[in-house]
Amino acid sequence: MSLLNIKNLHASVEENEILKGIDLIIKPGEVHAIMGPNGSGKSTLSNVLAGNESYQISDGEIIYDNKDLSELDAHERAREGMFLAFQYPVEITGISNMYFLKAAVNAVRVHKGQNELDAMEFIDLIDQKKQLVKIKDDLLERAVNSGFSGGEKKRNEIFQMAMLEPKMAILDETDSGLDIDALKIVADGVNALRSPERGFLVITHYQRLLDYIVPDFVHVLVDGKIVKSGGKELALELEENGYVAFEEMK
Amino acid sequence: MNVQEKALQEFNSTGYPTVKNESWRFTDLSRLNNHSFDGIWKNSDISFEPFDEIYIVFENGKLSLDKSNLDTLPIGLTLKSIKDYKELSLNSLQSEVNGIINLNIANFNDGYYLKVEDNITINTPIHIIYLTDSLNFSNCLRNYVEVGNNSKITIVEEYIGDDNSIYLTNSITEVFGGNNCDIGHYKYQCESNQSFHFQTIEVTIGSNSFFNNHSISIGCELGRNDIRGILKGENSEIVCNGLYLLKDNQLFDTHLFMDHAVPNCKSHELYKGILADKSKGIFCGRILVQPDAQQTDAIQSNANLLLSRTAKVNTMPQLEIYADDVRCTHGATIGEIDEKALFYMKSRGLDDFSANALLTFAFANEVVDGISFKPMRKKIEQSIEVWLKKVL
Repeated sequence: MSLLNIKNLHASVEENEILKGIDLIIKPGEVHAIMGPNGSGKSTLSNVLAGNESYQISDGEIIYDNKDLSELDAHERAREGMFLAFQYPVEITGISNMYFLKAAVNAVRVHKGQNELDAMEFIDLIDQKKQLVKIKDDLLERAVNSGFSGGEKKRNEIFQMAMLEPKMAILDETDSGLDIDALKIVADGVNALRSPERGFLVITHYQRLLDYIVPDFVHVLVDGKIVKSGGKELALELEENGYVAFEEMK
Repeated sequence: MNVQEKALQEFNSTGYPTVKNESWRFTDLSRLNNHSFDGIWKNSDISFEPFDEIYIVFENGKLSLDKSNLDTLPIGLTLKSIKDYKELSLNSLQSEVNGIINLNIANFNDGYYLKVEDNITINTPIHIIYLTDSLNFSNCLRNYVEVGNNSKITIVEEYIGDDNSIYLTNSITEVFGGNNCDIGHYKYQCESNQSFHFQTIEVTIGSNSFFNNHSISIGCELGRNDIRGILKGENSEIVCNGLYLLKDNQLFDTHLFMDHAVPNCKSHELYKGILADKSKGIFCGRILVQPDAQQTDAIQSNANLLLSRTAKVNTMPQLEIYADDVRCTHGATIGEIDEKALFYMKSRGLDDFSANALLTFAFANEVVDGISFKPMRKKIEQSIEVWLKKVL
């Protein structure tokens, strides 16, 4: 049974069609990587999946966990276990990371019919999860992403993922802007969260990330279409030959 | 003709300030002329919660000894009706006299006189509570605060109204601080949403002193704060922060004037406005740096968040600098909720209301967070929460 089933997905931004017919099936426990050149539609795909209303689906459908995704708002998707680690996490001054996370965790818990965590229980959960991405306490007290370095922002995304325990996680260019040490920490965090129930969609420009987060499947996205799919060795091929050969295929 | 008769005569000839007056050009008071404000005094039915042991309650503009608690005043503190010091309430102000001030002088009902002797630290906050629910009432108050050298005090002025009442609050608070004093002054304005509210606050402090003012405005249909800070002694600082939350057809005007007369003083102003529906906000921040006031450090910031396309803000920094070695900065912004931030929050499971509320609260938080008197901060946080439930 599939966790995410994307069928002939066409999507556009401001009348420009970016995705031109994508088919993709992700089963629980699988890690899929989507690689593609700039402008191929990688970020559009992640935004469409997370429910960003600036993007319109013009054709096709997305079935997630037996639900038609188009009928769910962004917050409902999140509560149903969809998680997007942003390429550019947004800075929000005036609200601490902790406060924001507590609101998010409790919104998801209430939706699942669980009790809201009180302050003590929440701190216990934080203590459990913060080791995963070696997040420092002062980062938790500070305003959401505000003044964080590029690496801190990406770590914070993975930390949020660990806290929210999604069923389907989408990592949108999580490797961009990371040095090698930060990349390892982030990848270790992701690997620790791999489980037989959880699906991952790792979107990246470079093969480098896939040395650390080893995918089960690799798909090449060019001009809004998946032009080739294969195993992890496809990423190596891409690294060697670039996207040029695929761009001619479209 | 005495001072009050003269003020009334002047008011009768000029009326309320009009939009032809530069300082009132965005604040049209003509709707005040539809009201006579000749209502009859009554006891107030409004309930209140004092912060601590010392509180003085004005019931429809009249000091109520029954409702106040002035039994446990510490040594060195005087707090009583200004009626015993009537000549002070008829003093002339530094501010330009206009129709509102004349009306206050002509009609004043009551007010408080507060004096802290030299070398006294008052740890209990002094809570001034104004309850107003007399219909068409003219609530003219005159307050006078004197804080001696090396003394410290926190004053909270809270205006509470009943939403069914139309009335006019016209209040003047003068504060005189000596040298090396520390004065906290909080104003929480939650008047009836059909009322009119005007307050002039004039503060003069000596050297090495600190005056910390926070003005939170939520109520009234039309209102204005005029706050003038006069730095008379070196190495002193005035902080003047504020937050206005406006909805429906509310209009609120803030006029600040910081007068740097001597060197080495600071004035820091941070004002934030959140405006919904068809409300209107006006902010004017004037900073005067006189020729002698070298090494002045003046910072002014006014940021506004519009929650609707029909809300409006006029913001005007006015810097007049006659000294050459100073640091003066100002900034004004008017913006909307950031769509990217909104999507980010929703993508973590927060629904539309929660995400908007959290982002709006985050915007206000810079001012709220600066309130060092914790019970006050908590009260403001709660009222923002209640307010957001009404507008979002």
